[in-house]
Amino acid sequence: MSDQPITDLSEPRLASSWSAATGSWLPAVILLLVTIVLWEAAVRIFAISAFIVPAPSEIAKSLVAQWGTLMQATLVTAGEILFGFLVSVVVGIAIALVIVRFDWLGRALYPLVVLFQNVPKVALAPIFILWFGYGLAPKIGLILVIAFFPVTLSMLAGMQSVDRSLLSLMNSVGASPTQILFRIRVPHSLPNLMAGTKIAATLSVIGAIVGEFAGASDGLGYVIQFASTQLDTALVFAALLLVSVLGIAFYYAAEILERIVVPWAPKFSQS
Amino acid sequence: MRIETIRAAGDKPAHIRHDDLISAKGVSVVIARQLILRNIDLSVPKGSFVSLIGPSGCGKSTLLKVLAGLVQPTQGSVSIAGLAPVEAARKRMIGLVFQDANLLPWKNAVDNASMLLGIADKSLSRSDLRARGQEMLELVGLGDSAHKRPHELSGGMRQRVAIARALALDPAVLLMDEPFGALDAITRDSMGQSLLEIWQRTGKTIVLVTHSIDEAIHLSRHVHVLGIKPGRITESLDIALPYPRDLSVTEDPEFVRLVVQLRTMLRFSHQPGGAS
Repeated sequence: MSDQPITDLSEPRLASSWSAATGSWLPAVILLLVTIVLWEAAVRIFAISAFIVPAPSEIAKSLVAQWGTLMQATLVTAGEILFGFLVSVVVGIAIALVIVRFDWLGRALYPLVVLFQNVPKVALAPIFILWFGYGLAPKIGLILVIAFFPVTLSMLAGMQSVDRSLLSLMNSVGASPTQILFRIRVPHSLPNLMAGTKIAATLSVIGAIVGEFAGASDGLGYVIQFASTQLDTALVFAALLLVSVLGIAFYYAAEILERIVVPWAPKFSQS
Repeated sequence: MRIETIRAAGDKPAHIRHDDLISAKGVSVVIARQLILRNIDLSVPKGSFVSLIGPSGCGKSTLLKVLAGLVQPTQGSVSIAGLAPVEAARKRMIGLVFQDANLLPWKNAVDNASMLLGIADKSLSRSDLRARGQEMLELVGLGDSAHKRPHELSGGMRQRVAIARALALDPAVLLMDEPFGALDAITRDSMGQSLLEIWQRTGKTIVLVTHSIDEAIHLSRHVHVLGIKPGRITESLDIALPYPRDLSVTEDPEFVRLVVQLRTMLRFSHQPGGAS
């Protein structure tokens, strides 16, 4: 490569940007592969029982063998996550709007919302089962109490960080509080809100699985519990793998949404 | 805080004429038990260009906010064409420009320029607003950047949009609080020159708060010097240099003389004058 005469200056730059792109992924991929190989080797060398730690090959086999069941369960869990996530975002936004728009109500509501954050919400799962039964409702409820808070908090932070002199400008021409809310505060809060939404997407996955643990007849959480009682650890890991894939998928969906909703956000406009 | 006792201190009241667009009489402002402004008399003739200059903490920004109706004077009164500032602002008579352009990052230049007008006058259609925004952008020399978002504009261009946004209201008076304070020296000079041209084309009355001696003399017809502790008008200076002025005015011997004079005044304004 070095013996080539430098005629086209754009080529080295292309090459370096390509290596930068792969360079950011490559170390993680290599580490993952090495871990899988070491894992497989360790299980075989030390003859670890498959119901304690299954080898990656066993997990893959289980994944293929139970593909139909797993896909059905994934679909159920994905539905819970999506529905619960959307409800969390809507409720989270509504609470934030009420807090900002109605000062008195906000001062009453905000401390209670923060206080509620200290309740270990996972512990609410059995109560939700008691109240709402074994269907979709308790999962949505659990996702909601776990995931609405980052949405509310991030949107509040965004709405309250509007520059004072901008508010002075609005006030000077007689803008109403509602106009300031919807023309300035809400759009101003969108970059923050989208960051909160990404956290909510991740928490929604946790909420759905916990909800299924507490009581369900379907879904990946149910598969994990059922398989562990059967000592089918390979199936537990296969279901876990799918949960992780779901989590990553929802996270990136939220990230794509962010690019669509706030293309003008500072993080996108600097480059 | 008893203002009467402090007010007795001898600040000479400025002569108040009848053709003044803005007149402030005996304005004192107390914020959090601190006397920020003491007994300010200020008159701004219609169509004039007046600068307020003074050291940090002299309350010149507060004075501008009082004129804009954003801060209520503890004592004294302000009238803008016979109206209280808040009333005048509601009637779109006041255009405000701050140091930060404060553009909405989700709107392009033309929509930013017409944003306040849209709030002030709900009867205007979207296309009316666009047309007005475009007209104002052309006035400030940004006619071909209408569809750019704020992050695609330089600091100076953003400030031009902020000026266009204020002018879109067609206000009688433009109140500017260190509008070029965050810009580099070269941009600052050209912005000042543009502001002069806008002033002469539109005939607006302008009150400019500035830190810069050169800027104050280059642009304004009258300069008021504010002193600190408490904030008060210590000196007033008429700038007799003829308009139209351009940057070459800074080489004029009269300009140089005024710079020296104003600098001397500012040096004295740094001394607290609570009990004079």
